[in-house]
Amino acid sequence: MSEFKLTTVEEFEAATARLLETGAKVGADSWQLRVKNQTPHCKFGEEGVCCRICSMGPCRITKKAPRGICGCDVHGIVGRNFLRFTAGGSATHSDHGREICHTLYETREGGNYTVKDPAKLKRIAQEWGIETEGKDIYDLAHEVAETGLLEYGKPFGTQKFIKRAPEHTQEIWKREEIEPRAIDREVSQALHMTHMGCSSKPEALVRQALRCGLSDGWGGSMMGTEFSDVLFGTPKEMETEANLGVMEEENVNIVVHGHDPSLSEMICEYAEDPEMIALAKSVGAKGITISGVCCTSNEVAMRRGIPMAGNFLQQENVVLTGACEAIVVDVQCIFPALGPLSKCFHTKFITTSPVAQMPESDFIRFSSESAGENAKLIVKTAIENFKNRNPELVHIPDMKQKAFVGYSFEEIIHKLDGVTNSFVDKTGTTMPLVDCVKSGVLRGAVAMVGCNNPKIRPDAAHIELMKKLIANDVILIVSGCSAQAAAKAGLMDKRAKELCGAGLKRVCELADIPPVLHMGSCVDISRMMILASEIAKDSGWNISQVPVVGCAPEWMSEKAVSIGNYVVSTGIDTYLGVEPYATGSSEVDALLKGGLRDWVEAAYTVESDIDKLGDLMIERIEEKRAALGI
Amino acid sequence: MLINRIFNGNDAVYGLTVGAIDDAIAKNGADKAVGFPNTAYCLPCYYAVTGVKVKTLGDLKEAVGVVKTLMTREHALDDALMSGVATALCAEFIEALKYVDGAVPYEEPCYGHLADAVIRELGVPLVTGDIPGVAVVLGSAPTAKEGVDLIKSYQAQGILVTLVGGIIDQCEELGYKTGANVRVIPLGKDVTSVIHVVSVAIRAALIFGNVTPGDAGALLAYTAERVPAFVNAFAPIDDVILAAGAGAIKLGFPVISNETEGIAEVPGALIPAKVEDFNKTSLEARNIKIKITNIDIPVAFASAFEGEIIRRG
Repeated sequence: MSEFKLTTVEEFEAATARLLETGAKVGADSWQLRVKNQTPHCKFGEEGVCCRICSMGPCRITKKAPRGICGCDVHGIVGRNFLRFTAGGSATHSDHGREICHTLYETREGGNYTVKDPAKLKRIAQEWGIETEGKDIYDLAHEVAETGLLEYGKPFGTQKFIKRAPEHTQEIWKREEIEPRAIDREVSQALHMTHMGCSSKPEALVRQALRCGLSDGWGGSMMGTEFSDVLFGTPKEMETEANLGVMEEENVNIVVHGHDPSLSEMICEYAEDPEMIALAKSVGAKGITISGVCCTSNEVAMRRGIPMAGNFLQQENVVLTGACEAIVVDVQCIFPALGPLSKCFHTKFITTSPVAQMPESDFIRFSSESAGENAKLIVKTAIENFKNRNPELVHIPDMKQKAFVGYSFEEIIHKLDGVTNSFVDKTGTTMPLVDCVKSGVLRGAVAMVGCNNPKIRPDAAHIELMKKLIANDVILIVSGCSAQAAAKAGLMDKRAKELCGAGLKRVCELADIPPVLHMGSCVDISRMMILASEIAKDSGWNISQVPVVGCAPEWMSEKAVSIGNYVVSTGIDTYLGVEPYATGSSEVDALLKGGLRDWVEAAYTVESDIDKLGDLMIERIEEKRAALGI
Repeated sequence: MLINRIFNGNDAVYGLTVGAIDDAIAKNGADKAVGFPNTAYCLPCYYAVTGVKVKTLGDLKEAVGVVKTLMTREHALDDALMSGVATALCAEFIEALKYVDGAVPYEEPCYGHLADAVIRELGVPLVTGDIPGVAVVLGSAPTAKEGVDLIKSYQAQGILVTLVGGIIDQCEELGYKTGANVRVIPLGKDVTSVIHVVSVAIRAALIFGNVTPGDAGALLAYTAERVPAFVNAFAPIDDVILAAGAGAIKLGFPVISNETEGIAEVPGALIPAKVEDFNKTSLEARNIKIKITNIDIPVAFASAFEGEIIRRG
């Protein structure tokens, strides 16, 4: 018990500093240096008042020049930029979801990909009105995959999964005309609306940003998550480790980075292959260690307990250890800097997706049809690279923490069933959680998500906020790089209950969970939407009434904005630590930070003082409690 | 709001306690001795929690000031549960005042304070599991029969039953035999008399658990892990009972109730159930596992009846 101690951000930074020394030795570039070169940032860009959507520009709005050449005012420009930002994020998640649909379509008995959770497949099929009786599971998988693929471009109707939301929420979406239709259509329409000479009314642009976000959260991301579960198994509680110390000096280290589990799952399979292990031994290694960075890491941690080497701003550190034989990536949030960086070491930077091609990388094209051969080649390439390691450059920081992960919606319900009394309570519901919130044992919940951003001291906001919230009996559900920050710090160790208020500590003991629950990757925020919906249905409250808020303290990507938009549209107040590029327009800013509440019962709050951000969230949770009379 | 109700109940009991202590001092002076008969632990609950022995009314006045410091009013679980502990300690003070001057405040069938000797006697079977649990039955059952049936069901499982409030009259009404010898102990009719069973759990920790008085953490860990007690509280549940219940929860004892108004379920701690389900719900909530071989005979059969005395006629 006594040996449990969180790893501090100072310790993270000391480890990074030591790695950067190695980097300096070999003349490597780093994001820390590049941030310096880029600061101060352009104010026009920061405020969102710069427009480059036609060649009459670029235009920028100042006091002297209140309109662009076409006559668009600052509100129109900021609104359009915001919508395009969202569309980028929505497209990214949705294309990921589409790839997973294709992978599901590729499943066959004994093939590269199989159906690992047929029960979940059947549940989804039934939900979608697809006949399951007497059907071969693979015929069903193909039919469901095809139906899913049609969600991207169907000419009529709205997203199938929005029926999962409580009726009240569905009514809001209908009333506000933000029900997401075909996923690609919302992205296309966003690009259409933001073309020169189309929409310049902030309300219209923000409304489409919400709809485009919803097509991601309740469309692309949700399908990505659900079908990943069908393909690779629905996550269950699992023990793993996090931080750079999970890499092993005497082993071949393969780091998977990116997002789509179709690649990483297959690499994990081949890393366990006796033939590959024998090969690793033949080159002088003891074995093969797979670890992950970013969301692909979350995917394999959730399902296989593969250790997490680090999150977004740690991706260069992985290479800087000098012990990384290959960093294998697919799509999204991959620094192109990894190319030149890997050239300073023996590391192979292997890109695999036509969607994300980068200079100075080894491109091994990965496709679901030839996944097995591709993965085998990648693993082999890494192993053969072991002998090229320069031992003088090897330094793996000796820091890691134990983490319990795998809390899918299904697993959370399973854990909650464990605390019910079999004579009085129904199982399979969120009621134990609702009861704890009603009685005040838990004050509420915060869904913490999002990236790292050099504008915020990396991981510090995630970790400090989590510590503050759990001390106040607020339970956390987390995903993405936020989850990895928690895991690296030790907040996913069950012993972290000692840092909680008495109420949350009791809940952790009773349900046998850590106070910070890892729900998965960024597409898995759709799991949180399902959880919020079920809590609303079980409690009889509207989602916006439940004492829950969302938070992205260190957000960075367009995906984060798309996520923010669907979380707010689902009725959950969202707290950001970094301003979106919207402060240049009083109208768009006011809409995001207040006006949205009239539409969808929730809005954004932005506060760069992280401590204050935490206070604001707790305050909001208490307000919601008071309004409910609990 | 559950937490507010607990605070209200605690405030009410605290007010009464301060008043009662002041009255007693006005009447008897601050040097008047106070304490329970036949115990080496003065006011056992207060002694166990703080390590301080209260011997006079003046000490008691000081003690109630210490209790006040437990009564924080933040909306958090620990504040609510500590208010429960404060309520329990106040109850102990009120009960202690009943014994001032060698008074005999309880009479048949009620026991009131239980002597150390009784605890020593019950302690061994409690530790060996011969007594698999301690039920604290509080209030009036919807009907006397339902109350007695519940008690009987516990007795048949060898569980020690203590009674507080209207259920005692309900037993008398049906002529149901009670007494330490049959492991059904009516404590008293005031809700504050529930402290006499809390006192049993706490003295068990001091006697058998070797807990150092004043080590509240070890005390609570011992009661939660080693004393398999639970509370069955009949509706209606007022704020005072709720506050006392919070004290039980702090000790690790779940509260099972048929109250449905103004109460929120707390998984594993405060559980609503129908009276007919009290027994099995309680046992599961307290994780008491009993294997019983049912012998089909026309009378009840359990170790609880070992001390029963058969009178002539």
